[in-house]
Amino acid sequence: MSGPLFPRWTNTVSRLSAAGLLAVPAIGIGGLMAYVRSPYGTNMQRPYEQPIEFDHRHHVRDEKIDCRFCHWSVEKSPSAGIPSTTVCMSCHAQIWNKSPYLTEVRKAFFADQPIPWVRVHNLPDFVYFNHAIHVNKGVGCVTCHGRVDEMAAIEQQKPLTMGWCVECHRNPTPHLRPLEYITSMTWTPPAAPQEAQGLGEKLAKEYDVHSRTSCSTCHR
Amino acid sequence: MNTKNDSAPSPGTPSSFALPVVPAQAAAAEEHGHGHDHAHPHEHDEVGAALDHAAGAGVATEGGYGKTYWRSLEERLGKPEYMETVGPEFPEGADLPPTGFARREFMQLIGASVALAGATACTTRPSDERMVAFTKTPPELTPGNPLHYASGMTFAGHTSGLLITAREGRPVKVEGNPQHPVNQGAAGIYEQAFLLSLYDPQRARVLRQGKAPRSVRTLAEEIAGLVGKASTGDGGARIRFLTEPNNSPVMGHLRSRIQQKLPNARFYSHATLTQDPSHEAAQAVFGQALTAQYDFSQADVILSLDADFLESRPANLAYARQFAHRRDPKMGSLNRLYVAETRYSITGGMADHRLRVRSSDILGVAAAVAQAVGGQAAGLASAAASKSAAPSGSAEKWIAAVAGDLRNASGRCVVVAGERQPAAVHALAHALNVALGNVGKTVRYLPVATESTGLAGIRELIADIKGGKVDTLVITAWNPVYSLPVDSGLAELLDPKHPERTKFTVLYTSLFEDETSALVDWFVPAAHQLESWSDGRSFDGTVSIAQPLIQPLFNGVPETELLALFLDEPFRPAYQILRDFWRGQAAGVADFESHWESLVSVGIVPGSTAAAVNVAANTDGATALINGYQAPKPAATGQYEINFVPDYKIYDGRFANSSWLQELPDPITKLVWDNPLLISPRTAEELKVERGDVLEVSYGNRKIQAPVWIMPGHADGAATLPLGYGRTGLHETTAQGKGYNANLLRTMNAPWFDGGATLTKTGETYKLISTQQHWSTAGRPVALDFTVEEWRTKAGHGIKSALARTRGDLDAPGNKLNLMPPFKYDEAEYKWGMAIDLARCTGCAACVVACQAENNIPVVGKDQVSRSREMQWLRIDRYFTGAGIFEGGYENRASPDSEPQIVMQPVMCVHCEKAPCEYVCPVNATVHSDEGLNDMVYNRCVGTRYCSNNCPYKVRRFNYLHYTQGKQPTEKMAMNPDVTVRNRGVMEKCTYCVQRIERTRINARIERRKITFEQSAGEGKQGELHTACQQACPTQAITFGSLHDPEARVTKLHNDERHYKLLQELGTQPRTVHLVRLRNPNPALAAPKASEGEH
Repeated sequence: MSGPLFPRWTNTVSRLSAAGLLAVPAIGIGGLMAYVRSPYGTNMQRPYEQPIEFDHRHHVRDEKIDCRFCHWSVEKSPSAGIPSTTVCMSCHAQIWNKSPYLTEVRKAFFADQPIPWVRVHNLPDFVYFNHAIHVNKGVGCVTCHGRVDEMAAIEQQKPLTMGWCVECHRNPTPHLRPLEYITSMTWTPPAAPQEAQGLGEKLAKEYDVHSRTSCSTCHR
Repeated sequence: MNTKNDSAPSPGTPSSFALPVVPAQAAAAEEHGHGHDHAHPHEHDEVGAALDHAAGAGVATEGGYGKTYWRSLEERLGKPEYMETVGPEFPEGADLPPTGFARREFMQLIGASVALAGATACTTRPSDERMVAFTKTPPELTPGNPLHYASGMTFAGHTSGLLITAREGRPVKVEGNPQHPVNQGAAGIYEQAFLLSLYDPQRARVLRQGKAPRSVRTLAEEIAGLVGKASTGDGGARIRFLTEPNNSPVMGHLRSRIQQKLPNARFYSHATLTQDPSHEAAQAVFGQALTAQYDFSQADVILSLDADFLESRPANLAYARQFAHRRDPKMGSLNRLYVAETRYSITGGMADHRLRVRSSDILGVAAAVAQAVGGQAAGLASAAASKSAAPSGSAEKWIAAVAGDLRNASGRCVVVAGERQPAAVHALAHALNVALGNVGKTVRYLPVATESTGLAGIRELIADIKGGKVDTLVITAWNPVYSLPVDSGLAELLDPKHPERTKFTVLYTSLFEDETSALVDWFVPAAHQLESWSDGRSFDGTVSIAQPLIQPLFNGVPETELLALFLDEPFRPAYQILRDFWRGQAAGVADFESHWESLVSVGIVPGSTAAAVNVAANTDGATALINGYQAPKPAATGQYEINFVPDYKIYDGRFANSSWLQELPDPITKLVWDNPLLISPRTAEELKVERGDVLEVSYGNRKIQAPVWIMPGHADGAATLPLGYGRTGLHETTAQGKGYNANLLRTMNAPWFDGGATLTKTGETYKLISTQQHWSTAGRPVALDFTVEEWRTKAGHGIKSALARTRGDLDAPGNKLNLMPPFKYDEAEYKWGMAIDLARCTGCAACVVACQAENNIPVVGKDQVSRSREMQWLRIDRYFTGAGIFEGGYENRASPDSEPQIVMQPVMCVHCEKAPCEYVCPVNATVHSDEGLNDMVYNRCVGTRYCSNNCPYKVRRFNYLHYTQGKQPTEKMAMNPDVTVRNRGVMEKCTYCVQRIERTRINARIERRKITFEQSAGEGKQGELHTACQQACPTQAITFGSLHDPEARVTKLHNDERHYKLLQELGTQPRTVHLVRLRNPNPALAAPKASEGEH
């Protein structure tokens, strides 16, 4: 019997498989690339459980404690610093000194054992980020850490990817703010775009901002 | 433009030897040279021709520069086996997987790791990282910022003033204290390695009696009982202490109090290398034991009689700096250094004229010089001449020239004798300095800082033990069982099999369980000096307070606390003992607290530097001393003189467990992880041995086996055996089994040299690994040195073509050789650059270890080094130079006039402006920074190694294996947290210490100012930015700074007349320039070398 060796439907199959050969890896790779850039991939939507239920909302918004009261090394050290237990106890020896929320803090203080906080903003080990230079040049806390005053538990609000860093390093002026508002959670640049730009340029000049993009700026 | 000579490689040239393009200027300079008397007026580019030859034949360049530079005998002679090994960039096996893996096993491992990789890829989320905050932050500490503490390192009777960097409570870097008069900010290799010994996980941890662990309290009770009995009884007549030479005021105080309590107890001290002969000679010449302190900055002519003063502890840091200042033509006329010595030493490498003589002939040389100089010295000379005949032949001329030069420079010269030489030589040196009027000018005499440490005391101690006069022996000296000469008898006495052994108790304290600890009754783990409070004098009397940086990591007991147990008093911690002592010393001080604070924070006791003593010479005593000297028996025919020297890397063995130092290439031989037996080429010829052949050395009735290393420039008829290797300490696993133990031939009568050794070939061979042949530069000369005269006239064609090739401006307008557009730095704040002065560099390698410590550079082991996989970013190339040495070819290699000179050249990444590595990286892992750094981005690197292939300087290092894996917790503490720890498969190289640049820059930018460099810091102050190598360098050979600043020292050196750029002919435009080394030969001795310049 003569006739086509392959039935007609094989055409469709071969077309589909050819398309699949191209599409599957493309979708696969594209999907992975999208995934690592997604909020999920950059750990932005990840809940963190801390050893102590510390609520920034209460301390920052309600009590209006400046960030630098606890993170006191932020202006002079690469590290913003996690407050020592003594800092907690300097207030909580007086107030809420019977609160069950603070049991673990008191225990740690009297046992002289450190509290093992979980790192939320975790950069790779080959990245050397320096808090002091950013804070001294007008990059506010909220720029990278988000509205900490609205977080019950600290989470990562910005992607902290290299692309995100470099974006600002290439053009820092829109992200600058006067130093007196450096820890402000609510400061916003002037609404008028021209005014905002003018302020950014003025601050960049005043604070002698020279953001660099050479690799060794962050990688050593 | 004539590039024909260069662009046509000789037939058969492998493409990797493709020759450089010569800039138009080079050819032009050659044309210019025609006016002068030129041997070959038609040869346009002799260098090119020479390089052609070199590339084709693979032999060291000859003639092109009027000089020959070579790195080893085999290279010089072009032995085919050798060329096969070094021709390729990497030796055979460099790219093989680690040994011990069969192919199948390897595939299995690969399979397993792929499977595991698949499993771990299921999540992008790293496991939670914990942040552990302080419970109470120490007030002085800001987390993330380093703190610096003044401290000190005591060893061999000298305390080096240090400044130690601590990060969050752990010391991470050792540097010299800038305010210390000896260190002046510099730190040698031992100081650097000091840090590693602190964290060494092999350190002893258990205080034990026999094999039973004990508490300090038990020990204290034991000692209290002993002391209580002795103090009321015989006054401690049966107690002996064997200590390191004591230079510590507090320890001296403790001792005197112990002596009050136990008046009959005796203290002995032992150090391998001592200043005793010098002190003894001073006693004879001046009537009192004195330490000579030299001022090389005032000396125009220096004669070294086997004195390795540029490297020999303890004064080397200060001396090297003074000496180097006088090698820099900018600082005035050059000095002239004559060295008479046996082995090629670091000081010999800096010599203008070097005389190779056996150690036993040094006395003869000294006597002949003294005779020729005359005056008071001549009186001693005749006595000395009877003990050791002056060498004849060419040495006579040498001695006459030296004596003439010394006489002409009376009061501006200095004669130095080495520690290995007997008191007789020192007496002659003292007498010569007196006769030449140097005392009070270039030589000052200071009171002796430590007590006698010679072997006489040891003899007495051993005799006492043998005579049953000792019940208790307390040893705090480093490992005497290993380090004492073999016939001292201590090892036998301590041996449990010895019949008398049960009659006395031995207590020993040390950082490690070593050869001595295996034989003692009580062992106390010592606290490291960085873990305990102490003090100590440097050789010039300056007292440093050494503060600890960390609590004892391994339950160590500080030495002061241990000694204080013998006072039988209530316990006081080391801090209290030290503070109480200094409180007693500060009787007149109103506010002791602030006084003490300043002592500790500055680290130096003000006014403690010793004042010079007025001396009057008396040659009679010296004549008696020389007459009493027992000259070693001359070597008979077929016999050789053996010389023992402390090793350049691990000293007498006490640093043997430091992997940094074991892997550091020896400054002269460039050997790693081993000690060789050094002999001269002629001796090798006599013995018919090649390098690596194992020889049996027999001396007295003892025998050891040692592998040969043929060392050009070594004295004929002598062999040198470095000490410190062949360790068998139980827990010192890094040191175990490395090299051979030369102490097994040393005797009490001849601890340093003696004739009468026989060397026999065993027929076995041993693989010695020298790094000097790694990374061949295909014969292109990269280290330049000229005589002052050559440099002044710049007439020789060699010098001209060398300079045209290394200094031609490839960026000149109209030059089309460069395809890449130049980088623009107008907007950059700084333009980083470095300058390395070869005239100053002695090759001591302090920079190499400093770099290793600063940049978390791993140690890879002997096997890996043998495959060219060493990781040190900075290497020091040691070139021999001198034509006419082996002109007759391989057969005549033992030609008697073989007097090679040495040029040392530190080479690290030169941060090319047009960097060949940058063009070839497929992933942009090495890129140019806006300030001209050649950045290395580890996280981008995928390990193609293209960059390393394309690097003409061979300064890139590849992590073939995961070298940083498996570190113990304490080892991790030594890591610099500012530098990434590299993983397997990543390329790395010198970064100009970018982490220091960035930290300093950020600090300056926060304060809205510029970085303060030396030139703007003000008189006597340091700048705030130094690279690690620059900071450590005792001779200030390395300068770093911004080329944007016309006042910067580095900019001035970049414009210095002597500057040149490595392989500039390739168009790489290095940011690091080297400065030509100048030699200052005596015209009276220059005549026989005239043939060198001929061609």
